[in-house]
Amino acid sequence: MAGKSGRSINNVPENPVKKMIFSWEGILVLLLIAINIFCSIFSEFYNISSLLRQMPVYLAEVFLMLGMAFILVMGEIDISVGSIVCLSATLACLVSNAGVPFPAVFLIALLVGTCCGIANALILTNFQELPPMIVTLSTQIIFRGIAEIVLGSGGSVSVTNTDGFRAIAGKVGQVPYILFLVLILAVIFAVILGKSTFGRSVYAIGTNRLTAYYSGINVQRVRFIIYTVMGTLCGLCAMFLISNSYGANTTTGENFEMDAIAMAVFGGIMSTGGKGNIAGGMISAIIIVCLRVGLGQRNVNAQVILLIIGLLLICTVGLPNLIKNARQSLKKS
Amino acid sequence: MEKKSLWKRITGSREALLALILILLFIIVTGFNSSFLTPSSLQQLIKNNAVTMVMALGMLCVMLVGGIDISIMSTLALSGMAIGMLLKYDYISGTIVPFIIAIAIGTVCGFLVGLVVSRADVPPIIATMGFMYIYRAMGYLISNGGEWASASALGSFSDFATTKFLGLNCVIWIVIVCYVFFYWFMKWTRTGRKIYAVGSNPEAADVSGINVRNIKLLVFTIMGLLSGLGGALQVGIYASAMPNMQKGGEMDVIAACVIGGVSMSGGRGTVIGALLGSLILATIVKALPLVGIGSLAQNTFKGVLILVVVVVNIILQRISDRNALKGREM
Repeated sequence: MAGKSGRSINNVPENPVKKMIFSWEGILVLLLIAINIFCSIFSEFYNISSLLRQMPVYLAEVFLMLGMAFILVMGEIDISVGSIVCLSATLACLVSNAGVPFPAVFLIALLVGTCCGIANALILTNFQELPPMIVTLSTQIIFRGIAEIVLGSGGSVSVTNTDGFRAIAGKVGQVPYILFLVLILAVIFAVILGKSTFGRSVYAIGTNRLTAYYSGINVQRVRFIIYTVMGTLCGLCAMFLISNSYGANTTTGENFEMDAIAMAVFGGIMSTGGKGNIAGGMISAIIIVCLRVGLGQRNVNAQVILLIIGLLLICTVGLPNLIKNARQSLKKS
Repeated sequence: MEKKSLWKRITGSREALLALILILLFIIVTGFNSSFLTPSSLQQLIKNNAVTMVMALGMLCVMLVGGIDISIMSTLALSGMAIGMLLKYDYISGTIVPFIIAIAIGTVCGFLVGLVVSRADVPPIIATMGFMYIYRAMGYLISNGGEWASASALGSFSDFATTKFLGLNCVIWIVIVCYVFFYWFMKWTRTGRKIYAVGSNPEAADVSGINVRNIKLLVFTIMGLLSGLGGALQVGIYASAMPNMQKGGEMDVIAACVIGGVSMSGGRGTVIGALLGSLILATIVKALPLVGIGSLAQNTFKGVLILVVVVVNIILQRISDRNALKGREM
C-alpha cells in the first residue's frame, strides 16, 4: 500500500459513485447526517442557529487536529499539545492583564506556542532514536508545570480587558469567525498535505522512514517544521479558548491531545502512519462537535461524551483490522 | 575472552548505577534533614508510593513487549470506586472481599484492553487512550455522578493500611510480595522469558513458536490486575474513594519505569530497575521541598528529570555504540 489511502499499486479503477460512498469519507458523511438526525430528535433545541452559537468552544480543538493529522500521517504522536495550549493561554492572559495591546497579545500567544513546538522539535530531531511518545510525555509535564509555576498558588487567571477577545469571538451574521478560520486553515492544510511536495514527503516518511531518507527527503527538517507548526496551532487554539472563557487555569487544555488524536484517527488517519487525509479528519471533527453540542443541550454528563468518544476511537481503529483478520483466516481455511 | 573486572561489571550494569544514585540521593537528603533516613520515615515513603511501585511492575511488563498503557489510572479509579460504593451501601464488608472484587474488576478491564490490542491490532497508545476515557467515565457513572466514599463509609476496610504485621505495615508487605513474585516470574518462569523474547524481536519470537498475541494479551491483563490491586490499595491508604483519584498518575508510573532503565521500544528492563526507578522518583519528590523547591515546581522538575534521563540514556548508548565500532577496527 503506497501513499494516500486506497491508492495502491494494483488498484483497479472502480465505479466512482460506488467508490465515493464506500470510502471512509463517504461513510463519515453518512454518519454525520445520522448524528444530526439523532441530535435533533434527542434535543428539541438542536438546530442550525443553536449549533452555530454553541460550537466555538469545541471548534478551538479542531486547530489541533489539523497539526496532529500531519504528525500522525508521519507515524508519530504529540501528546504535549494540551499543555502547550495551557501555557500559551496562561501567558496570554497575564500579558493582556499587564496592559499589552491585543494584537501583541495574539502574537505572544502564537509565539509561546511556537517556542514550545520548537523545543519539542529540537529534542526530537537531535535525538532521533527517542520515541516521540516519551519526549512529548515529559514536555507535557514540563509545559503544564511552567504554567502552574507562573499561575502561582491560586491556579487561575482571568483577563480584565476583554475587548480584543470579544472581537475575535465575533460573528458574521450567525456564523462565528472561528468557523471561517477553521475552514480556511483546513483547506490550506489539506492542499499542503495532499498536493504539495512537502505533503507527499510526509506520506513518504510515514510509510517508510528509511526509504524516504534514502530517496533524498530531509526527514529531520520535515519533522522540525511539523512539530513547530503544531506549536503555533496550539497558540491559536489558546487564543480562541480565552475568547470563550476569558481566563485560564491549570486544567486548561487538559485532554485536548486525546480529543485531537481521536478526531484525526476517527477520520481515517492511521496512527501507524502513511494513511489518511485532512478531509476525513475535518468531517469527523464536525461529527464530534455536533455530538457534543447535541448531547450537551440535554445536560448529558461530560463523562458520557468522553465515553462515547473513547468507544468511537477504539471501534474505528479496531473493527477494520478485525474484519481484515477474519477475512484472512477465512481465505486460509 | 577475558573476565570482566568487578569495576567494569558495576559500571556496566544499569542497576548498580541506579543503586549508586539512590544511595547518593539518600545521603544528600539526610544531609538536609536528618530525620529522613529513619525506619519509620522510609516506611512512610514506601507506603505513600505503594500504588506507583506496584503498578510499575505491570508497566514494566507492558513496556517490555514494546507497548504502553495510559489507561491504568482509570482502571484504578473504576475498581477503587466500585469497592468504595459497594462498601458505602453495605453490600460487602471486611478487607478480603473488596480486595478480590477490585482485582477482578481490574483484571477484566486489562483483559479487554489486551483483547483490543492483540486481536484487533490497535496500537497500544490509541487503544489505552480510548479505554482511559471509557473506564474513567464508568468510574464516574458508578459513583452516581461524583459521590465520594469517605473514611466512615468504608468501615473497617482501610484498617489494613494502619495495622502492622511482623513489624512492617501491611501495605509494605503487599509491595514486597509483589516484587518478590515478579522477580521470580520474570527471571525464572517460561512465561516471563517469553515476554522478554517478544519484546526484543517479535518476528523471531513468533518463528520460534511463541504465541505473540497471547503474550500481549497476558501483559495487559497483568497490568489490569495490578491496577485493580492499586485501586484497592489507593482506597485503603487514603481512606477515601473518589472518581477522579490518581488522575495523571500514569505519568508517574511511566516515569518510574523510564528512570529504572526500561526501554520504550521493548525488550530491555528489569524488576530491580523498576524498583530502583520508582524509589528514586519517590525520594526526589519527597526531597524537593527539603531543598527549597516548592510544590508548585514539582511537576516541572519531574518532567525535566524524565527528559534528562532519556537523553542521557541515548548519549550513553551512542558512546557505547561508537566504542563497539572502534573495537572492531583493526
